[in-house]
Amino acid sequence: MWRGLLFLLCFGNAQADDVLHLYNWNNYISEETVQRFEKQCACRVVQDYYSDNEEMLAKLAAGATGYDILVPTGNALESLIRQKALRPLDKRMLPNLKNTNPAYLNTPFDPGNRYSVPYAYTLTLIGYNSEKLRELNLPVDSWAVIFEPRYLGKLKGRVTVLDSQRELLAAALKYLGYSANDTDETHWKQARDLIIRAKPYWAAFNASSYIKELTVGNIWLVHGYSNDIFQADLDAQNAGRGFRIVASIPKEGAVLALDSMVLHNSGPRPDLAHRFIDFMLDGRNSAELTNLIGSGNPNRDALQYIKPEVARNPAVFPGAAQQERLEMLRDLDRHQRRVLSRIWTEIKLR
Amino acid sequence: MRCGWGGGTMRGCFCMSEEHARLPPAARLTKWLVSGPPFVYLLLFFAAPGLIMVLASFRFPGEFGGLAPFTATDPDALQGLTLETYRFFFSDFIYTEIFIKSFIVALTTTLICLVMAYPLALLIARSPKKSRDLMVLLVILPFASNFLIRVYAWMIILGPQAALSLAFNGLLGMFGVEPVRLLFSPFAVLVAMVYVHLPFMVLPLYTNLERHDPTLLDAAQDLGANAWQRFWRVTFPLSLPGIFAGSVLVFIPVMGMFAIPDILGGTGDMLVGNLIKEQFLGTRDWPFGSTLSIMLTLAVLLCVWIAARLGGRRRYA
Amino acid sequence: MRRGVWLWTAALAVYAFLYLPLLIVIAYSFNDSRLNAEWVGFTWRWYGVLFHDEDMLAAAGNSLLIATVSSLMATLLGTMAGIAMHRYRIKTLTFIVMAPVAMPEILLGVSLLLFFIQLLNLTLGTLSIMLAHITFSIGFVAIVVRTSLAGLDESLFEAARDCGASPWETFRHITFPLILPAVAAGGLMAFTLSIDDFVITFFTAGVGVSTLPLHIYSMIKIAVTPEVNAVSTLLMLLTLTLIVLAAKFAPDALKGKG
Repeated sequence: MWRGLLFLLCFGNAQADDVLHLYNWNNYISEETVQRFEKQCACRVVQDYYSDNEEMLAKLAAGATGYDILVPTGNALESLIRQKALRPLDKRMLPNLKNTNPAYLNTPFDPGNRYSVPYAYTLTLIGYNSEKLRELNLPVDSWAVIFEPRYLGKLKGRVTVLDSQRELLAAALKYLGYSANDTDETHWKQARDLIIRAKPYWAAFNASSYIKELTVGNIWLVHGYSNDIFQADLDAQNAGRGFRIVASIPKEGAVLALDSMVLHNSGPRPDLAHRFIDFMLDGRNSAELTNLIGSGNPNRDALQYIKPEVARNPAVFPGAAQQERLEMLRDLDRHQRRVLSRIWTEIKLR
Repeated sequence: MRCGWGGGTMRGCFCMSEEHARLPPAARLTKWLVSGPPFVYLLLFFAAPGLIMVLASFRFPGEFGGLAPFTATDPDALQGLTLETYRFFFSDFIYTEIFIKSFIVALTTTLICLVMAYPLALLIARSPKKSRDLMVLLVILPFASNFLIRVYAWMIILGPQAALSLAFNGLLGMFGVEPVRLLFSPFAVLVAMVYVHLPFMVLPLYTNLERHDPTLLDAAQDLGANAWQRFWRVTFPLSLPGIFAGSVLVFIPVMGMFAIPDILGGTGDMLVGNLIKEQFLGTRDWPFGSTLSIMLTLAVLLCVWIAARLGGRRRYA
Repeated sequence: MRRGVWLWTAALAVYAFLYLPLLIVIAYSFNDSRLNAEWVGFTWRWYGVLFHDEDMLAAAGNSLLIATVSSLMATLLGTMAGIAMHRYRIKTLTFIVMAPVAMPEILLGVSLLLFFIQLLNLTLGTLSIMLAHITFSIGFVAIVVRTSLAGLDESLFEAARDCGASPWETFRHITFPLILPAVAAGGLMAFTLSIDDFVITFFTAGVGVSTLPLHIYSMIKIAVTPEVNAVSTLLMLLTLTLIVLAAKFAPDALKGKG
């Protein structure tokens, strides 16, 4: 070990010339893809992870620098553009941009895609243990199963929800019939009361380790990201567990998070960053992402390479009717953030 | 030792015990040379940050995080100083409630640590001199593992598939009680809090108990006091300073803890530390985070002051 | 002797409480299963995984670098502070040295974060972590050095002065050799504190730079594998060695910790 450490101490900087710094969601790129890119560009990819947009924004606000690429969701993208933290893209260096499905371009967050290109998308939905939920005979097509004590009674201590203020509030607002972007404080308070009523039945607020808990069979029902649920299902199958982990889009609607690749101002290597973006826009690489981690794919050229069983998965490629009910989150201002934080405190405390 | 080795000029005063006022100029220079660097360093990296924190609590939050600029070109922009965060803090009871909850957790942890540490410290203090050092070392050794590792250990032990959980739930099952989840619960938080801070209680207690004069106990015995009376009337009152020192060492870090509730807590385990962390690394509300930090400082000082007064009075009562 | 038995039982229970969890961590580092649940079989695999984990090695390298630099600086400043506290009894100095040791860590972390970003406009990273670590280590070194000075025999210095030694010579040839073990113990303690620190590093690290505790934290939060147990076991061995060394240099120093 000591020799390895010495090596890193002495030579760590020598190869710093060809390093791409990627600040991405955890569990949002496969090791294989990274390795192929490293081989192709003869460089090293250094990754840092976050599990919530707010976390990423807060770390950047606290002065984190040196990232070439970030992968923010729409609302965070909007905020980053407004604080002038991003470097405009040089589209001449992105010939593969033509592969992107125009439906995912020109979003209100970044009109004209000056700063961002779509990477992948995920849905925030319900994931469940197929066997257990079938035994209990509970409805899985509605947020009711997450929020209603009459269903939760059978699931006490077997449910986790995301440890994200925005996502959990959005789910509650959706169940109450409001928009996920509703900022009316009385509606927020209704959502808060709904959450507090359901909370005694939940095991934890969890943003990442619920994948493992689902696989092991400790947790039967989650409010989680579609790619995490996909991962849990793969793990459960590999481990030969007798159940599947299934995702379901609630009929009240859910949050769609379109995550984009952007260049941070502080990144020392925009050249490598452009190469990485173009690499990820290649149909095969983009398809690999979907095949391995189960993220939704905004790339038209990728569709032909996607495994049929993944292509059929409605949590990865929702049908037209389901797409109608999906909503992207918008950014909150500082006052709304403080009010939400207060509501969150109350939720945690009660 | 090199006696009579050159009669150099008075360049230093490391070993002189004169009063400062009577120090010759060169010695005074040495005094500043020795005390200056650490003083300046801590002024810069301890006192100044503290002041900045106080100032920050009177500012507005920046639109994207950090602080709003002190003076803005746009007259409508939020600028200057404000009591807004303090008003927000006191506008309803919830934040005070979090402080009370943290206080209860800290107090419970301190008491449990005390109950567990006392017999151990007493045993070590009354053991033969030879074995004492080893016994003390055995208390310190768990410190040799990283704090996070000690917390993580409990994550394994309390996990639903672990022997402890299975045995405990098996026992509950025998009495027809629903199985409970040990991990991600207030119980898990408390256990880890005690585990991590226990040595802080043992060591000062032991240091105190070790110094007790054994003849006092003999005298009490001669006067007909039984074992319990001897403990309660002699040993315990004498150990109050040790109890106080240990309690402070446990209480203070627990009040500011955020990692343990973060890792082991369930749906309701939010303490002041978590709230402060969230303001800086989640909500991007630095002024409010600073206000909470200042409140925490005041709360800790208040608690320690009260404890010191109570301890002081008890000793003479 | 009934009371003795009670005491022994209680004390042994506490010792068991202190050690069992750590033994379980070590045992599971040899468990041939990804999930830290049931025992499957013995393996060295996780140590192999560990030595090929570049992020982990980089974090370990960072930790060592930061601990080395900050403990050296803290030893220098802390020794000066200890001597000054003992010699001159400056109240403000004593306060400013002791206060960082006594306050909840999160407060130091938060105020340093504000200070670095708001006033110094410093990019968080290795440097900011080092500065923070020096801040909280000075106090510990100073306490150890002062304790050692207080235990010295004043007549030694008088003798030296009577022999005509200058104060600097007295320090160089008498005081310093005598307090050297305490200085070394303080330095080792500062090194251990730095290697181990999580909370203050958490706030002053930014995101690009990781240390071992930060890396372990993200592993615990995101994906726990027995690799965490393996790195924990090795880290325990390392700190254990340092503590034993510190105990050798100055046995009383450890009791002053905290």
